[in-house]
Amino acid sequence: MVTAASLMCGLMAHADRPRFNDKEAPQSLDDFREIQKALQENLERARAATVCLQMGGGSGSAVIISVDGLVLTAAHVTSKVDQEITVVMEDGRKLKGVSLGLNSETDSAMLQIIDDGPFPFVEVDLDDSTKLGDWVFSLGHSGGFDKERGINVRVGRLVRQADSTIQSDCMLIGGDSGGPLFNMAGELIGIHSRVGASREESMHVPLREFQAHWDELKEGKFIGSGGFAKKSIPGSGFLGVITEKAEEGGLRVTEIWEESVAEKAGLKVGDRILEVAGEEATEKGMSSKLAELGEGDKLKLKWISGDESKEETIQLGKRP
Amino acid sequence: MKITTIALLIAFALPAAANSLPSERRKNGPLIQVALGPVQISLQESSAVFYNNATSGPFIYGTVVSEDGLILTKASELEEIDSYYVRIGTKKYRSVVVVGRNDVWDVALVKIEATGLLPVDLNKEVDLSHGTWVVSNGATERRFRRPRPGIVSANKREIPGGSPAVLGVGLDSKDDGVFVGSITEKSGAEDAGLKKGDHLVKVDGTEIKDRDGLIAYLKTKVPDDVIKLEVKREEETMELEVTLMARHKLYGGSKSRNDQLSGGEVQQSPRRTGFPMVFQHETMLTRRTVGGPIFTLDNEFVGMNIAAVNRVEAFAIPAEELAAIVEGLKKDL
Repeated sequence: MVTAASLMCGLMAHADRPRFNDKEAPQSLDDFREIQKALQENLERARAATVCLQMGGGSGSAVIISVDGLVLTAAHVTSKVDQEITVVMEDGRKLKGVSLGLNSETDSAMLQIIDDGPFPFVEVDLDDSTKLGDWVFSLGHSGGFDKERGINVRVGRLVRQADSTIQSDCMLIGGDSGGPLFNMAGELIGIHSRVGASREESMHVPLREFQAHWDELKEGKFIGSGGFAKKSIPGSGFLGVITEKAEEGGLRVTEIWEESVAEKAGLKVGDRILEVAGEEATEKGMSSKLAELGEGDKLKLKWISGDESKEETIQLGKRP
Repeated sequence: MKITTIALLIAFALPAAANSLPSERRKNGPLIQVALGPVQISLQESSAVFYNNATSGPFIYGTVVSEDGLILTKASELEEIDSYYVRIGTKKYRSVVVVGRNDVWDVALVKIEATGLLPVDLNKEVDLSHGTWVVSNGATERRFRRPRPGIVSANKREIPGGSPAVLGVGLDSKDDGVFVGSITEKSGAEDAGLKKGDHLVKVDGTEIKDRDGLIAYLKTKVPDDVIKLEVKREEETMELEVTLMARHKLYGGSKSRNDQLSGGEVQQSPRRTGFPMVFQHETMLTRRTVGGPIFTLDNEFVGMNIAAVNRVEAFAIPAEELAAIVEGLKKDL
């Protein structure tokens, strides 16, 4: 298991602070050339680790920060913990991922790629060394994945700092959400969150917000009750079956709702459910479990259909 | 499956109390423009600014391509304005003649009476890798072109699409054929006298079997093409000639959420798709600031801005394509 501490092993010492960051503005074309050189030196690696996230018809961006596939993104992108999400690399390669924790107050979230690595990853500015006015660059799958276009890169400066938000004048658009903001040493300093009314106002979640809740995010916790993600409402989940106690043990399915998640999972009238969430299936157990769970939450079922034994983790639908 | 992008929330700017960088120091601020002075000289001499005679406001830029007054600009913006004049450097040119137009690239070649202009060099190929600074025209003053920086931001590529040619009718599919369900105002269909309820029998002599067949045929056409429709109205059969129109002119551009985030029609070029080859950069342009030349920090001409696409993307025709485009248009001289 990778922890915040072990993540630091992969980090190098901070590169010398580039001179252009300490100037009021570029003084000459050479200052522009230095900015370009720093950006281009770090761009390839940053692009390789920037991914598109696709789930349920929506698309956002994210960035890989460890060789075994730990990913940082925005809470309003994953929107739920423990959700399957497709991770798309710039070349179109699709990987399986699952969302870990999120902070609904600050818009930070984590995800783990389940497929085997190694994965390209970026280094993280754990020391919070980036200052107001520093030049930064932003990557993302603006408007969704587009293989011909590839990842969009933008450049700008860090123009405002507040506790849980940093602002740059790198321009962002839908689809960039969750994507990475880098300093000119190629270290991750923030995750794209939202935009202002003007094109030049882009807000990012600073790395320190992730660090403040690192372990909780890794453990899959849903933090806070803010506006960036809504916890599922207990009892709002819907499986779509009616059952009765079966004489030979477990629960007999007597009715299935059309188009329900149960039907889609392959449950049929007459099937016998043996286990609900790892426990022996009883009428009381099933109803109390469903009262606990909300739309989008997962329920593991084990059942017998004819001679066949089946097992499936079903994502609950919305109670009609 | 249609994938939509996760909505980017619009938030209020951070409170003023927050630690903030003065606006003149920001990427599009005046201090940066000062540092770009050596490139501004190229913009100053090789950009043309088109002013609307009715409002005296600038509405599009052009790129000077010959010493004796040939200017390339964005055709679909130029044709929106009835009468205009041009400024190059500090001079004003009243007489402007359109000598040719290329709808594939959406460019027009115009001629002014001038000598000794400083054209861009169309014969140089420059490598534009991601992250390379490019400098375009920002807002303009009467005598001074303001430089605006950006970087090359994505892969060079073809942009499919274009503005499809449309009839301007809503089609109504019935068992016995395709009928006109509605007519869009000011469309070619309205001008040709099509009426709601008309039965569309033949297009250019070929029988219309179903809605999809007609739409597929229209896809082979371009705006301003004229098609012949055989129409049955009650018991009468008639033939009407309909001029097709560009979809964006009749209906406006598409309006996705990202388009709304991009300032809609004020900021985005209505014609922003359908180019055989573009490079993309992230300079903050609007529909009024495209058409002009783009230079590198070394004053090398690398292309002409052709579309402000959205909040984060601008398209430019690469310099190496422009030489052939200009040659083709000069044949009309």
